[in-house]
Amino acid sequence: MRTSWLPPRLAQLTRRARELGLLLLGSITVLFFLLRLAGDPAAVIAGPDATPEQLELVRAEYGLDQPLPVQYARYLGQLAQLDFGTSLADDAPAIDKVLAAWPASLMLAGMALLTTVLVSLPLGIWLGGHPRARLARLVRGGIFVLQGFPGFVTALLLVQLFAIQLELVPALGFGTPATWILPSIAVASFLAPKLVRLVEANVSASLEGAYVRTAQASGLSDRAILWGQVAPNALLGAVALIGAQAAFLVTGLVIVETIFAWPGIGLLLVQSTTNLDFPVIQAITITVVVAVYLVNLLSDAVQRLLDPRIAGQGSPA
Amino acid sequence: MTAAVSPRPAALRADRLTVGLAALGVFVLLALFGPMIAPRDPQLVDLDARLLAPLAGGHPLGTDQLGRDLLSRLLEGLRWSLAVSASATALAVTVGTTLGLIGARSTGLVASAVRQITSLAQSFPVFVLAVSIIAITGNGFTSVVLTLGLVTWPVFSRVVLAEASSILQREYVLAASMMQMSEVRLMLRHVLPGLVPSLAVLFAFHFADMLIAESALSFLGIGAPLGASTWGAILNDSRAYLLTGPWLLLVPAMLVVALVITFNLIGDGIRQRVAAG
Repeated sequence: MRTSWLPPRLAQLTRRARELGLLLLGSITVLFFLLRLAGDPAAVIAGPDATPEQLELVRAEYGLDQPLPVQYARYLGQLAQLDFGTSLADDAPAIDKVLAAWPASLMLAGMALLTTVLVSLPLGIWLGGHPRARLARLVRGGIFVLQGFPGFVTALLLVQLFAIQLELVPALGFGTPATWILPSIAVASFLAPKLVRLVEANVSASLEGAYVRTAQASGLSDRAILWGQVAPNALLGAVALIGAQAAFLVTGLVIVETIFAWPGIGLLLVQSTTNLDFPVIQAITITVVVAVYLVNLLSDAVQRLLDPRIAGQGSPA
Repeated sequence: MTAAVSPRPAALRADRLTVGLAALGVFVLLALFGPMIAPRDPQLVDLDARLLAPLAGGHPLGTDQLGRDLLSRLLEGLRWSLAVSASATALAVTVGTTLGLIGARSTGLVASAVRQITSLAQSFPVFVLAVSIIAITGNGFTSVVLTLGLVTWPVFSRVVLAEASSILQREYVLAASMMQMSEVRLMLRHVLPGLVPSLAVLFAFHFADMLIAESALSFLGIGAPLGASTWGAILNDSRAYLLTGPWLLLVPAMLVVALVITFNLIGDGIRQRVAAG
């Protein structure tokens, strides 16, 4: 559905901006009212060890003595200026701490995505091309079992096997490239089984397609068709899935960063919940909402670029 | 794994559901009679029996770093896991189906909000929101169940929206609608039954997701009351004893995986049955 008086691209952009605005407003509002429902927000904001004087200070600073609608408006106003308050742990601006933690998370996410794609694409394409092979059935069974592994369990088992038993790589830290291996594999284990299944489904569907019959008729070998014609199409599905799984990827980051003491937003979030550092929790939630939404947008755009057939349609729901 | 046997007879295929339900039955019995099966009080600290390997000193699965009996703790954790996941899934399916039906039928503000939330929910980091919400509302059964249920209902409304809209176009529904059947009766008599197969499949997979989410939360020390014997908490404790007590990791890890696979089997099994007609 397009607003007729706007050019399509601009209308698209406006709609996206409105969606992101709604998501942000929704999450902020939920956190705001929960904080007030949960008891004395000053006590939550100031932390469990606050003195009565500190509580008074917080009440004044956050305007907690004002009526609720006034508080809400004021709170939105502060957030609009990117004022998330200061961390209770060290009085640094919450948003600064959060932004400082993002690069480590992005790095881990990047390495994990690379690992995921390197494993799942070839495997998925091969599985799709060999639906009846004995080995393929075995691999499919293995993937079914792997899908039953919660990510944090996989991460713990990886540490146990490769760091403790075999002593091949360090168990935690962020220093040298050797410490990057296990966390990347652990985050990848969240995404890979799903991606393999999706690529496989895409490939077997494509093999039924008309262009495959044309290629067969023109004398191309099955192998050439699979890897030369069908595989590039499967890439499209991969892009879509990775975009749609960005939210899930963040879950992986939270857990894996905690296990490996990786200094990203996931570790910061868990640390902040232990000492109820509310300004930081809130800043993380908001930046994550924005980031995940942008990744979805980007994957949509890439998909449109790769497949002009989608470009004419409205956005997929 | 029977996966290597080439063309499998249909009877064997359908068995996923049977295997899954049988495994679930075992887990439910273990949860129900856990307190009777448990060799000791799961919280009983025995510093002389720290980190005993399985079978040592009358502890079938060994003991943890405080000498607590691992089998007893795991049985208690199973009750928590199943109770939280069942309640959260039930909440999500109820809210998601109700709102999905409203969204499919009505044109009001609520309906359009439901459609909007449903379409955006996939690109929303619900786990991070759940962590933040539980951090604010505090630990405990109610807090975890409400949070998990209320942040995940769009999983169900997505399917209900899609399928209910198509059912609503069918002739018998249009006929019923023209005969001025009440909206609620129309939904309950004619639309909901058509949704049951999809909802059943989704319910099983969502149950597995809730198990994973709950154990991940308690692994991070969020949600379960402090000191509770949840599988996540036991796994978190195990990290300090990977060398001296690897069973503290391996036994609960196997159980979590087995329980999740149980629900995946049930979900796949129902889906196969539905597809087979």
